[in-house]
This record gives sequence, C-alpha cells and structure tokens, in this order.
Amino acid sequence: MLYEIEGKQLFKENGIPVPKFKAYSGKESIQAFVEELGSDVFMAKAQALSGGRGKAGLIKKVTASEAEEYIQSILGRDHRGKPVELVMLEQPVEITNEFYLSVLLDNESGQYLILASPRGGVDIEEVAEKYPDEIFRQHFSVYIEPLPYMFIDLGKKLGFETHTLTSFTNIMTNMFKMAQNKDLTLIEINPLILTKDNQIIAADSKVVIDANAYYRHPDIANLKSQIDRLTDLEYEAEQAGISYVQLDGDIGIISGGAGLSMATCDLLQFYGSSPANFLDVGGGADETKIEKSLEMLSTHDVKGIFINFFAGITRCDDVANGIINASKKFEIKVPMVIRLVGTNDEEGIQILEKNGINAYNKMEPAAKRIVELVKGGN
Amino acid sequence: MAILLDENTKVIVQGITGKQGTFHARSMIDYGTKVVAGVTPGKGGQEHLGVPVFDSVKEAVEATQATASVIFIPAKFAYGAALEAIDAGIKLMTVITEGVPVKDTARIRQRALENDVLMVGPNCPGLITPGASKIGIIPGEICHKGEVGIVSRSGTLTYEIIQNLSINGFGQSTCVGLGGDPIKGIGFNECLRWFEDDPQTKSIVLVGEIGGTGEQEAADLVKTDISKHVFGFIAGQTAPPGKQMGHAGAIVHGKSGTAKEKMRILSEAGITTVRTPGEIAGKMKEIM
Repeated sequence: MLYEIEGKQLFKENGIPVPKFKAYSGKESIQAFVEELGSDVFMAKAQALSGGRGKAGLIKKVTASEAEEYIQSILGRDHRGKPVELVMLEQPVEITNEFYLSVLLDNESGQYLILASPRGGVDIEEVAEKYPDEIFRQHFSVYIEPLPYMFIDLGKKLGFETHTLTSFTNIMTNMFKMAQNKDLTLIEINPLILTKDNQIIAADSKVVIDANAYYRHPDIANLKSQIDRLTDLEYEAEQAGISYVQLDGDIGIISGGAGLSMATCDLLQFYGSSPANFLDVGGGADETKIEKSLEMLSTHDVKGIFINFFAGITRCDDVANGIINASKKFEIKVPMVIRLVGTNDEEGIQILEKNGINAYNKMEPAAKRIVELVKGGN
Repeated sequence: MAILLDENTKVIVQGITGKQGTFHARSMIDYGTKVVAGVTPGKGGQEHLGVPVFDSVKEAVEATQATASVIFIPAKFAYGAALEAIDAGIKLMTVITEGVPVKDTARIRQRALENDVLMVGPNCPGLITPGASKIGIIPGEICHKGEVGIVSRSGTLTYEIIQNLSINGFGQSTCVGLGGDPIKGIGFNECLRWFEDDPQTKSIVLVGEIGGTGEQEAADLVKTDISKHVFGFIAGQTAPPGKQMGHAGAIVHGKSGTAKEKMRILSEAGITTVRTPGEIAGKMKEIM
C-alpha cells in the first residue's frame, strides 16, 4: 500500500483531480503553505499505512494558527505499531455528495473489477451489508483498453449527469489506465467527492502495487511507503530475496516454500512452543540465502532455531553448505535442529555430518526435539 | 488412469538450457517423462540432455506433436513464454516461475481460457502421475503409484504430505501443485471433478492455505458433487491477520481467510481435517 499523499501524487500525474496538498515533516514553514493555498483553514492528515486514522485523531481540520501545535502533537505518535513521520496538509473541499469508487484486479475472476457506490465516505463493507443494491459491480477483461463510453451507465447509476457525467467517465478511464499501466492491484477512492461547484475530486487514496512488478516501476518501488511497510529486518530480508515475517514466539524458523514454512510455524505451536518468525527462502535458494537467513536469526533474540527443508527446486547440498558457512561466521548460541530431505539430500546430510551436525529426515520428531531443547530438556 | 498426464504425454521444456531448466528437465527425463524437445530462442539446432532444442515452441510442436509444456523462464519473460505456448497449440501448460506480475498472470490465464489450454501455476511445483510421468519439480522418488489424488496450493508442503502417505502405504494417482499466487490457472474445483471421474483415484487430499476463497468453493463442491472421501489440511494457523506469509496468495483477510475458519468450513462439508500434515495417513488408515 502507498501513503495517501503518494497515491494522490500519482492521481495528479494521471488525470484524477485531487485537492491541493503538500507534504509536511514538521520543519517547513506553515506560513508558506497558507499563502500557497490561499486559505487559512486546511486538513492535516497523518500519513499511515494502517486504516483508522480518523478514529485515532490523526486527521483534523485546523486553522493556520492551530496547525503547528496539532502537527507537532501527531508527529511521532504511534499508529498501530508505526510512528507517524509525515503529515499531509490539504485544502479543504466543500462537499455536496460523497461516492465510493475502486478498481481492483479481482483474484476470484482473474479480471479487473470496478466497485462503485453512491454511499461513499463510510466503511464500504458496512454499505455492502446494509445496502447491497447500492454497490455496483462491473467486470472487465484484463486486456481491455478503457475508454470513457464504457463508464456512462455506471456514471448514471451513481447519479452523475451532463458535464459531471463526462468528468466522471474521464476520471474512471484515467483511474483504470493507471491501474493497468502501474501494475496496481487496487485503487480505492473513498470518498470521491462532488463539490459545491460541481467538480469531482478524489478526497482520499488507497493504492496497492503488485510487488512482483516493482522492476517495471522503480519510481513506486522506491517510495517511502514501500520501505516503511516492512520492519527493518523484513526489509533486509526482502532485499536478499527472502520472505520474512516477524512473529512474537520463541523459536526462529528457516524453511523453503510458503506452505511448508507456515506448516513449520504451526507445528511448533502444536508441540507447545511458538514461532519467532516466518521465514521462506523461496524456491531455488542458494547457499548465500541460507547463510543470510541464519545471520538474521543469530543476531536476533531467538531461543532456538529450527531449519526445515523439503527440497524440490532448492538443493539440500546448497542448504547444508549455507548452514556450515553461517556457523563458521556467526556464533550460534541457541539450540539448532535441522531437518533435510528432498533433492540432493544424501549430499546435504553428508556435508552436515562431516561437520558434526546431524539432520532429521522427518519434520514432526524434529519439531518436537527443538521444542524440548528450548524448554530445557536434553 | 490418472488425471492430466500419463506416460504418453509429450512434454516440451521452455528454458531447457538454463540452470533450473537443465536440472529439472534431467530429473523429469530420469523419471520417465516423455520430454521430446526443449526451447531456448537462439539455441535452435543444438541438442541438450539428449533432447533437440528449438528456437520456438511452434517449431518444437511441429517437429514433435507435443501437447504439454513446462516453463522454467524468469518472471520478466514468463508472460511471453506462456503466450507463445498457447499460440503454438499446447494444451497443458505448467508455469513453475515464481514472482510473475499478477497482471501478466491474469492475462495469461484469460488467453489460456479462450484457447482451452489447461494452465497450472504460476509459482507452482507442477504435477506428477507416479510411475508414469512428471511435469515440474516434485521429487519423483517420494511418490508411489496408488489411489490417492492430491491437490494443493503449496509446493514443499505437498512433498511433505506425499512422502508421509507413501511411507504409510498410500500411493498416489496424480498430485497437482496449483501454485500459491492469488490469480492462477486451474484450481481446487477442476481437480476435484477430475479426481471424482478418475477410476484409479479412491480418495482425495486437499491442501490449502490462509487467504483467498478457493477452499470455501471446494467445500461447496464437495458437499454436492464429490462422492469420494476428501481429507483436508490448511497451513497458516499461526499467521497473524493482515500479514503476508510468503505467497502473495497467503494473506489473511478478515475472518473468512483464516486457517481456523477454513478448517471449520471444510469439516462442515464432510471433509476430514487434520491438525498436522503427518496426521493424514493415520486418518486415512482409520477411514479407508
């Protein structure tokens, strides 16, 4: 997900009208902003990657004289585990009507899906429950070239007419093209606003990019949000091509494949302990990834390490070499249990045994063992 | 009988001269898969692993009448490789590649549907009919020929389950790894129907994950259309909501995507659910 302000910058560049806005990190002069806006009342919105900013008091309409104090009070404040580091100052808009509008790449149909509702500005899931007839859904082929005429019916259903209808179909077209061109899996505008002077404006932005397509969009991949969405350790892992999620248990795990990595976490819980992390080195991991993973865990506060591989595209000799290299470089002070089967497992086990390390071939007894060791058994 | 592939299926390996392609093409050939050609643009006319290499899938199909293709091509080029296979008339296309942009996958999927091509993957281990043939990267030595059909969203977790069943005397008819991406080719329901119609298959194992709705839809189908006994496991019971666990598909969205909720839905549909992968064989001994 992108920060609202990053999403709005993309909107601006792609023909979706937004209110005038500016990023504020607590050091700039508010006066300059007031002059630029030509208004001395504006919205101050903390930028965060989790929802619920309004309820948390992180969005407020303020006057120029109140702004400084309010902004200083929200900068650094924790919102769902992350400190607020950026505030967006925005020109307030006079609202006549609020709508909901989104374009998403729908997992179920494998097509683009537009969702729209004349009941915007509120939780859309609530609208779906209470007023299911007031959410309009329209599927589109993933190969479609969006053109304004395709959205005329939708615009009319939402209540747009004459020149607001044209504005709407243009905005809808631009939004759809943006989703396609930027590999976005979701663009949500809630609310989309009809102003007193009949302008249609995006008052919020929720934009999600497909991380698999980062290589096509280095501009988006390098945005602050894409770095902030991960913890430092998660970011370090991602840079190394490892998928790592911090959990709050005792035993660090290293595994290959998302399913097996999850099942490994589950198994630790089943035997009465808990996973300190999820770590999937991915398919075809080489020695350096294994080494990197062990480095991450050994510098982290885990009570034990459980390495569990059922190698398919990965090779057990690579895993074993990675473990040996890492144990030479980093001091591993906690108990470690290794389970290794699959492609080239005989070679892998030989490499470990040469270095005095035994490996299990079944995951249940191996998981049981690491739990015992961590709990102080022999 | 089995589903999707047998010893006569002629297979092309796209990316056969690459590191992964070479390694796994060799393993497929050793297993007995009829690998009739490889494709690497610019390397046409060569021979690799005793198999002729062609510049294009079209040339390979014309020369060998292959009907299946497996793609070991980096994510940036997977879209082109998949469309090439579809245009060349391949009928069973397996995309092993991980990290394919989801828009590309959605487009490949649509072309595949329009052309009656069965697409497996992407980001998947492929499929195997033990004793006959395999397409992809499932280690052949852990599989035994038998009567259990396996369909899974996972790769390595599937190996885990296959091996456990094999050791306990439960061989497999066909094992299909669907892949872990949010948008993919064939899903649980297609496989459940094929297994239902396959006389060799006597029971079915379904391996799911957190996230998505495939398991719920499978549960609905099992209630109405599947007479064979189905066993189920869902990975990700310790996954915190909102966190993505490796697979792009494995992310919990609200209550419906959690492992616990999915297990409940499977149970209600009459599917025998287990708490660890190792428990499936035990339950199977009790029931089958």
